[in-house]
Amino acid sequence: MSQEAVISARGLTMGFGDLILMESLNFDIHSGEIFVILGGSGCGKSTLLKHLVGLYKPMAGKITIAGMVLDPDNDDSFKRILSRIGVMYQGGALFSSMTLGENVALPITEYSNLKGAAVEELVSLKLRQVGLEGFEHHLPEELSGGMKKRAAIARALALNPEILFLDEPSAGLDPISSAELDTLILRLNRTLGTTFVVVTHELSSIFTIAERVIMLDKETKSIIADGDPHELKNASDHPYVRQFFNRQPEMER
Amino acid sequence: MSDSASMTTTPPITIEHTPGQLSLTLSGVLDLRTTPEVLDQLAHIHKPLPKLIRADLSAITGMDDCGALVIFQLRRMAEKHGCELELAGTPAHVRDLLAFLRVDDPPRSAGAKRPRPGIMTRFGMKTIQVWDQSGRHVSFVGEVTVTLLSLLRHPGRLRLGDTVLYMQRVGVDALPIVGLISFLLGLIMAFMSAVQLQQFGANIYVASLVALAMVRELGPIMTAILVAGRSGSAFAAEIGTMKVSEEVDALVTMGFRPAMFLVAPKIIASVLVVPLLAMYSNIFAIAGGLLIGVTTLDLTVNAYMAQTMSTLTIFDINWGLFKSAIFAVLISTVGCFKGYQVRGGAASVGKATTSAVVTGIFLVILVDSILAVILRYWRP
Repeated sequence: MSQEAVISARGLTMGFGDLILMESLNFDIHSGEIFVILGGSGCGKSTLLKHLVGLYKPMAGKITIAGMVLDPDNDDSFKRILSRIGVMYQGGALFSSMTLGENVALPITEYSNLKGAAVEELVSLKLRQVGLEGFEHHLPEELSGGMKKRAAIARALALNPEILFLDEPSAGLDPISSAELDTLILRLNRTLGTTFVVVTHELSSIFTIAERVIMLDKETKSIIADGDPHELKNASDHPYVRQFFNRQPEMER
Repeated sequence: MSDSASMTTTPPITIEHTPGQLSLTLSGVLDLRTTPEVLDQLAHIHKPLPKLIRADLSAITGMDDCGALVIFQLRRMAEKHGCELELAGTPAHVRDLLAFLRVDDPPRSAGAKRPRPGIMTRFGMKTIQVWDQSGRHVSFVGEVTVTLLSLLRHPGRLRLGDTVLYMQRVGVDALPIVGLISFLLGLIMAFMSAVQLQQFGANIYVASLVALAMVRELGPIMTAILVAGRSGSAFAAEIGTMKVSEEVDALVTMGFRPAMFLVAPKIIASVLVVPLLAMYSNIFAIAGGLLIGVTTLDLTVNAYMAQTMSTLTIFDINWGLFKSAIFAVLISTVGCFKGYQVRGGAASVGKATTSAVVTGIFLVILVDSILAVILRYWRP
């Protein structure tokens, strides 16, 4: 896997109004990597993700994706960036008025030249990958929370984007589905070379999939750890990081 | 990026037709960009097909799940025309992908398609739905009534803060639009009737016409329509969204009665402020009529107002206020009820909001007509 940075953030400061969440973050995400963003609740992980996909504008600094500066106001470059990324939102964000199949088919019919029958076949392949084959004609409201999550991943996968952003993919899933999801992420990463940017809390999932993690810290508003989670677990010089990976409560320190 | 341009010029498939064998060579990248063309070419191979289809996959450099559709298509072709399919030189990454996609598993059926019912079925379904809904409507009205009656005994249970907030949203915030529309309505009524009444030298009766029409009918009706549009819809959307995000369920499990928590403040606030709004609407309409009377009909302010006062009775005003209160109950109850009916997601909230406004206005007009008939026989 090449070590070329596919996403890079330089001096990224984010926040809302007077509230500053993170100050001058610098990090690179390499092509073909599974990159996990960690941090305690409320430290701004999801916000960082929304900055990386251009939904929020940074207060300062810049983000580059695939060599292009992320600028939502520049229609041309933003569209080209969007064609390379897929996003799965925390709550699934499936369109409630469409069936599952229609949800997944929407980007495929819109952005490719595939014909009707081929689209249907591809949709069922996508759903098969996330273990939802046979649910094409179900409405999102008829699915459980975990199924909605997996369907949302299938929709994010629809166009086989180079970079996939997943916001808490395994939260609310049973351990088996969660492990299957990890396998799915690893397989997609190997077979298609997809770069993953994942926000998650699941320790087991982190140790299974993550090649590199960054940990955000609310107090210092900065990155306090960057590297392989297996090494950080024991070798980090930051007590909070060791505590996080070893799952120790605050008072036992 | 750079290879995308070359891809479009050289199709990643070459087809060779030799007697007894169809040779296909796939090469390059098979993905969402290139696959549609390959599928297209495969579909246009002229029939009949020879006994053997031989596909050489060795030159494929990249393939994703969209490219796998080509394999599916080849298999279907072979099966349909009864020929043999031979996949040669499958690269490791392709084999890997095909294993990952479990291409050998039979596709599980997509389940029954959502049936598109015929016209009779839909008619029947709609009828059952209306019947069903009227049952639910009755039980909702019953629950709300019980809740409101229980408030008479324990007035402390009313959420006062919410009630005041809704009084502001339904009443105070509606003042500008109600004022403006009523003023213009009075103005137009005076203007139009003046043309007719002037012919008989009955200028002064413009004042009577505006006052009576507004206070007895149009004031309450216009206000009700505006409130239905502004607040009935808002109630439905608010409760509907709460329903979607399980907030209503949370209220129930926390031991609150949604009817007390959500509905009672809205109904009580509406009943308190909508009559005031109607009153306010009357004043502005009379002001509009006055403006026309003074500027185009040579009436003095005194004469116009004296005529207005002598036309209106206390009963007229009370009747208008009474009707407004009834309308307020109708609009707010329907708004809340439609919110409760929401199931599913965003689209359902939209439907409920529309339905709240339409049903609200319909009921207002219907009840107004009934009241008009009752009044006709009660006070001839």
